[in-house]
Amino acid sequence: MKRGQRFKIYVAIILIIMPVFLSGCWDSNELNKLSIVSGLGWDIDPDTGEVTLTYQSIIPSEIKSSSSTSGGGEQKGGNPLHTIQLDQDTGSSPYDVLSRYAQHGSRIPFYQHTQVYVFGMDGVQQGIYPFLDDQSRNPVSRPNVLMVVSETKASDILGIQDGMENIQAFGMAAEIKLSAAFSKYPAVTVLEFQKRILSKTTAPIAPIFGIVEENGPEGKKIQKIRITGTAVFQGDRMIGELNERESSGLLWATNKIEKGFVIIPQASLEIVQAKGKIVPELQGDQIQITIEIDEESNLLEYKGRQDMTSDILQELEKDQAKEIESQVMAAVEKSFALNADVFGFGEAVHRKYKKEWKDLKPKWDDIYPRIEVVIKVKTHLNEIGDINKALMKD
Amino acid sequence: MFRLLSKKMRRWQTSNSNNQTKAQQKRSPTYLSKNLEENLQILREALGQSSDVVIRDMKINSNSNVDAAVVYIDGLVDRDLVNHDILQPLMFNLQLIKDNVSQNHSSLIDFIKSSVLTVGQISGTEEIDAVISNVLLGNTAILAEGVTQALLIDAKGWEARSIAEPTNEVSIRGPKDSFTETLRTNTALLRRKIRDPRLTFQSLQIGERSKTDVSIAYIKGVTPDNLIAEVNQRLKRIDTDAILDVGYIEQFIEDSPVSLFPTVGTSERPDVVAAKILEGRAAIFVDGSPMALTMPFLFIEGFQNPDDYYARPFFASFIRWVRLVGFILSIYLPGIFVSLSAFHPELFPTQLLVSVAAAREGLPFPVVLEALLMLMLFEILREAGLRMPRSLGQAVSIVGALVIGQAAVSAGLVGAPMVIVIAGTAIASFLVVPYADVGALLRLIMTVVAGHLGLFGMVIVQLEILSYLASLRSLGVPYLSPVAPLNLSGLKDTFLRAPLWAMDSRPESLNSPDTRRQSPGKMPQVPKTNPNQRDSQ
Repeated sequence: MKRGQRFKIYVAIILIIMPVFLSGCWDSNELNKLSIVSGLGWDIDPDTGEVTLTYQSIIPSEIKSSSSTSGGGEQKGGNPLHTIQLDQDTGSSPYDVLSRYAQHGSRIPFYQHTQVYVFGMDGVQQGIYPFLDDQSRNPVSRPNVLMVVSETKASDILGIQDGMENIQAFGMAAEIKLSAAFSKYPAVTVLEFQKRILSKTTAPIAPIFGIVEENGPEGKKIQKIRITGTAVFQGDRMIGELNERESSGLLWATNKIEKGFVIIPQASLEIVQAKGKIVPELQGDQIQITIEIDEESNLLEYKGRQDMTSDILQELEKDQAKEIESQVMAAVEKSFALNADVFGFGEAVHRKYKKEWKDLKPKWDDIYPRIEVVIKVKTHLNEIGDINKALMKD
Repeated sequence: MFRLLSKKMRRWQTSNSNNQTKAQQKRSPTYLSKNLEENLQILREALGQSSDVVIRDMKINSNSNVDAAVVYIDGLVDRDLVNHDILQPLMFNLQLIKDNVSQNHSSLIDFIKSSVLTVGQISGTEEIDAVISNVLLGNTAILAEGVTQALLIDAKGWEARSIAEPTNEVSIRGPKDSFTETLRTNTALLRRKIRDPRLTFQSLQIGERSKTDVSIAYIKGVTPDNLIAEVNQRLKRIDTDAILDVGYIEQFIEDSPVSLFPTVGTSERPDVVAAKILEGRAAIFVDGSPMALTMPFLFIEGFQNPDDYYARPFFASFIRWVRLVGFILSIYLPGIFVSLSAFHPELFPTQLLVSVAAAREGLPFPVVLEALLMLMLFEILREAGLRMPRSLGQAVSIVGALVIGQAAVSAGLVGAPMVIVIAGTAIASFLVVPYADVGALLRLIMTVVAGHLGLFGMVIVQLEILSYLASLRSLGVPYLSPVAPLNLSGLKDTFLRAPLWAMDSRPESLNSPDTRRQSPGKMPQVPKTNPNQRDSQ
């Protein structure tokens, strides 16, 4: 009996230990069996309606060689894109395309670290709903990926190396974040895009990338990418764009200004702090929106050759306010022209007038261009720099 | 399954208590007879005619033919003392003895004790077993013809290591002495730190054959009485033939003999043991072991270092956090790295993922195997460095550094990030010395689990370990106290080390009857008098 008991104990121990080794590993992905997708491009053929996805994947071994042997990177310096690999597939829907990846790929694509989604111009004009649906449905996709519209095909943008990052998509993401940090163009993540779509009235936006040619070394032309505007969507289709000035105006009104510059004819100012607020007012059928902007800045350069006086400061503040107002006004006029609520006026009205919103919502498209917009800008000049007397005088 | 295990345990326990009752059956004592020759014969038989036993016959009182014998073990006694203070007075004072003792044998031994021998500690016994055991201890016995009493003289003296600097528990500011292999020296070291008359050393002999002296040290009124009783009871339960080191005692008296975590503390420093006794703990010294056991032992004690108390509190608190973080890292770091690279690459920051992926390119093994390989290599190197003859140590460290550091990476066996992870883990594991061995085992378990179940598995194992730790007791005190169960005033000496003047009371979890260590409000203050005035006086 004693032997039997001991046998039972051994069996029990083995039964406890075995599942540890049996159960595991089903979702184990060794890093060298993954293909890390850094950027994803989306194009639609306007004639056939077929979807083309462009995967930009990182080649880890190339990064190893360029970082571990310093100077060895120069051998591959001829091709700055040696760290990435571009693959393309075409199909009728996103998953039709993805299923074709297995025909040529050697590793499982890994989307959790994707930096940017690039949408070709044809694609955004056809509508990107299938992509958005996939993004929202699939738990693998991350909501903090940046969305970008390309002036050309998405695959073109993903193949142009720019910036100092060693991986193209990282460079693009860094460019977008920097432009947002300097209050030039909005940085739009998938989450923000989804939020704007879900609000029904607000128009989604995304920065636009274009390709420019620059003079490179040895007289060669080199291609670079740069942000050229802000795409305005209606639902999942792009309907127009805001230029540089209008994009800034949008950021002022939506409280997205972090730092940056205000340029007026006689001076340049650095933004220290800025607040934007949208205050709706409902009078019968007429909606009045007050955009209140509160800004503080420092003087960076002054072209007038005279000493600083309080009169000049007041003048600078006034001119600055006028400049900001005109930027915002430009954005407002453009949005009326496109009949796209990029500012989220509808949401502001909804928040303040919950009862009335039910009636307003169905006819928002008619109401929107008739909204009366008042812009109130308060500016304050904090510092004038290290000198208060001009170096040269007239 | 667990019922089976517990049944088995219960059986072990009952068999233990059976042994105990057997040991308690004592032989009836035999007494010395009046015939010296007979007594010596018994002694010779008992001591096995060993060559180190010296039985020196002599005639003390030649007229009345009284024979006497001095019995001792060569090497255990101070020869000078025996020659000059025992043999010499006995043989030089023959006339004196003859004059005073006349024919009365029984008064002979008393006279020798009171007027002849010039040594300090003398006692008498009539039992022959006591004579034997005392001789084996290093005492010198004097037997005489016609007397049923033997004199036992403490003339112990043997070669012993002198007090040296502690080798395992190094301190920067604290005292630099450590225990030696001699029990008396160790108790003296402790007595010099605590001159309280209530400091008690309670002696026991354990070991059927080794007859090792064991001393329980405590302060009456500070150490709770039930703790002393419990320690006594556990020590008396020990029934083994030899206690060669304090570690034997530790394994016989622990609360949880199958636990990975130690529930009895060890120290080689008198100041540490003194501090623990002053907190209300008991200590056990074993003759022949340069370590003392302290109990109860709580989990947090592993993170406390004597230097924490000798240095000012700020850096001490910071270093305590470093130790905690180091301990946690040393257990989890390889596991976390394995889980992240095998199951959750999305948890890496993107740039880190790219460089980790770059390093893993072209490696032959899965990351778990890689981690286990490096861990085993490290353990092998550590053990080799520890056990090998000192003259070879350098060779091991050179080969080890090359194998673990450079060669494994350039040979394409493991990735460079793995080397960093293992190296960091290895260094961190030595931050908390009492748990270095526990850490090594837990680290292996965590890595294996991480390789099969990822972070999910690690969390499960971690919960198991935590609940297990919370269930442990050390002599009735919860192992995780004062953190769990929470005791706010006890937290003064856990994650932070409060200034000494703020720690007024002894740790509450130890239940010391004397709760106060000092009167409260002893924060040093600048005297109220104006220093300028003082100068002018």
